Amino acid sequence: MTRIRVDAAAWCLAAWIASGCHEPVATKATEPPRNVAGMPIDSATAARNASLEPGALATVQAVPVELWKGPGDRPFEVALRSAAPEAGHSRMFGTITLPIALRSRAAAISQYPCTSCHLGRKVVMANKRISDAHNNIQPVHPSQTGAVCSTCHSADDVQLLTLKSGERATLDESYRLCAQCHFPEAKAWAGGAHGKRLDGWQGRRVVMACADCHDPHKPAVQVRIPFRAPQIERPRSHAP
Amino acid sequence: MSDDSTAEPPGPSGDGSMLQKRVDRRGALGILLGGALVGTQALGACAPLSAETDTEREVKLLAWREYIKGNYRFMTEAERAETIARLERLAELQRGLEVTIQSTGAQPGVLFGYAFNISKCKGFRRCIEACINENNLDRNADTQYIRIFEIEDGVVDLDKADATFQHEVPAEGHFYLGTQCFQCADPPCVKVCPVGATWQEPDGITVIDYDWCIGCRYCMAACPYWARRFNWAEPEVPPEEVNPNQHYLGNRARMKGRVEKCTFCIHRTRQGRLPACAEACPTGARVFGNLLDPDSEIRWVLANKRVFRLKEDLKTEPRFWYFSD
Repeated sequence: MTRIRVDAAAWCLAAWIASGCHEPVATKATEPPRNVAGMPIDSATAARNASLEPGALATVQAVPVELWKGPGDRPFEVALRSAAPEAGHSRMFGTITLPIALRSRAAAISQYPCTSCHLGRKVVMANKRISDAHNNIQPVHPSQTGAVCSTCHSADDVQLLTLKSGERATLDESYRLCAQCHFPEAKAWAGGAHGKRLDGWQGRRVVMACADCHDPHKPAVQVRIPFRAPQIERPRSHAP
Repeated sequence: MSDDSTAEPPGPSGDGSMLQKRVDRRGALGILLGGALVGTQALGACAPLSAETDTEREVKLLAWREYIKGNYRFMTEAERAETIARLERLAELQRGLEVTIQSTGAQPGVLFGYAFNISKCKGFRRCIEACINENNLDRNADTQYIRIFEIEDGVVDLDKADATFQHEVPAEGHFYLGTQCFQCADPPCVKVCPVGATWQEPDGITVIDYDWCIGCRYCMAACPYWARRFNWAEPEVPPEEVNPNQHYLGNRARMKGRVEKCTFCIHRTRQGRLPACAEACPTGARVFGNLLDPDSEIRWVLANKRVFRLKEDLKTEPRFWYFSD
């Protein structure tokens, strides 16, 4: 069993965001580690959350959900689950390797951090160059809904999401953004009929957030080749 | 004996006199014949012609003790521990496997229920893959507990469903519906078992004592959902693929001529984990939880979604519901 410590990593990301995200500088810990949402992390809890069985998908540090309530009006948490948790361990920023929080959506984003290009100010580019820079994004959902980048991404700080209310949300809080239109799905997600629960049926309820399953720019489930078919004949009576 | 099949398993202290007699008879038989076996071995050890090693002797003795053991339901805690120790040792001696076999009982106040979202399932069959690996299903016969049926939109006739589709999914104009053992509240398979080898546990899981099963397959005929599978040959699982986390009533090694079926991953769910199929589902179509907990997700689904069950008119009361978005 591999154990991954996330507290230091989470603290570094928090410190880095707090410093304005301009210069990624590794600093020494002077206060208790905090996760992305600013909640203090109990290091024992963090270690337990990050524990993995070999070959298993990892459940990493969860963030409590605000605004939405689960079954029985109980609060719950969202978590990212990754088959390659070590990918969230650290990331090269130029010549500096900076540990980042495992529970960050950012770990799964290939062009993160945005400030490696955007440098905290608006980048004015011709349309062609924008598509060049983000050629990995297939903007199916924006083109269907007539949305532009700034409909969801904050124009002033590209590492945040912008909500209709004018509020900002982190990239980990995709459910707040998506729920603005997809409210039936959000209700079902909070209740437990949509989305996916992690860890187990008992105890703390940890679920996956919208963007953990759906590509935000191309959210539909893609076609795949299924696992092998059963070796059975198909008499009519085989159907239950 | 078959009258016992629907009753609660008696505690170690509450055994009836008939049971006591039966255990005594079997026990006496075991001591007599086991003694004879050891006797011949002792003789053989003196004779230079015998090539029997200590390991072979131990396997023989363990296998014999296994052969004369009783039904799991009526075993005392000590007897359960003994048989589990024997099975673990046999796995080590015969196959070089280090397995852990649980005898974990049902949690009080827990009744398992399952809900399946037919709008979400896309027919990827990842649940089947996970089930095969988790439950040590026979790779040779390619036993699968779960079936995923591809059904045309608007069709409600399951006779027209296809479980053997092999093309890119989801297919246009189709939906997918998965079946497995529904852990019925009134299970016909339990009623027909002539030897009481299958019964319903307090948390709603219908289990099989593979060592008590005689392979008559009455239960397979009785199940209206085709949930049970028969081992026509000795099941084969490559040693490196065996899941060592096992339960006596769940995914431990099965034998030729015995019936098996889905147990909602009894070795996982009794420890608070999700069944392997629910954990593997990439679309979140599977909801599993405690029906007795009003704040559980399964209860939320039952209260807020339009749900149905298969063949409700049979009154088998499956604890497996289907719902859509």
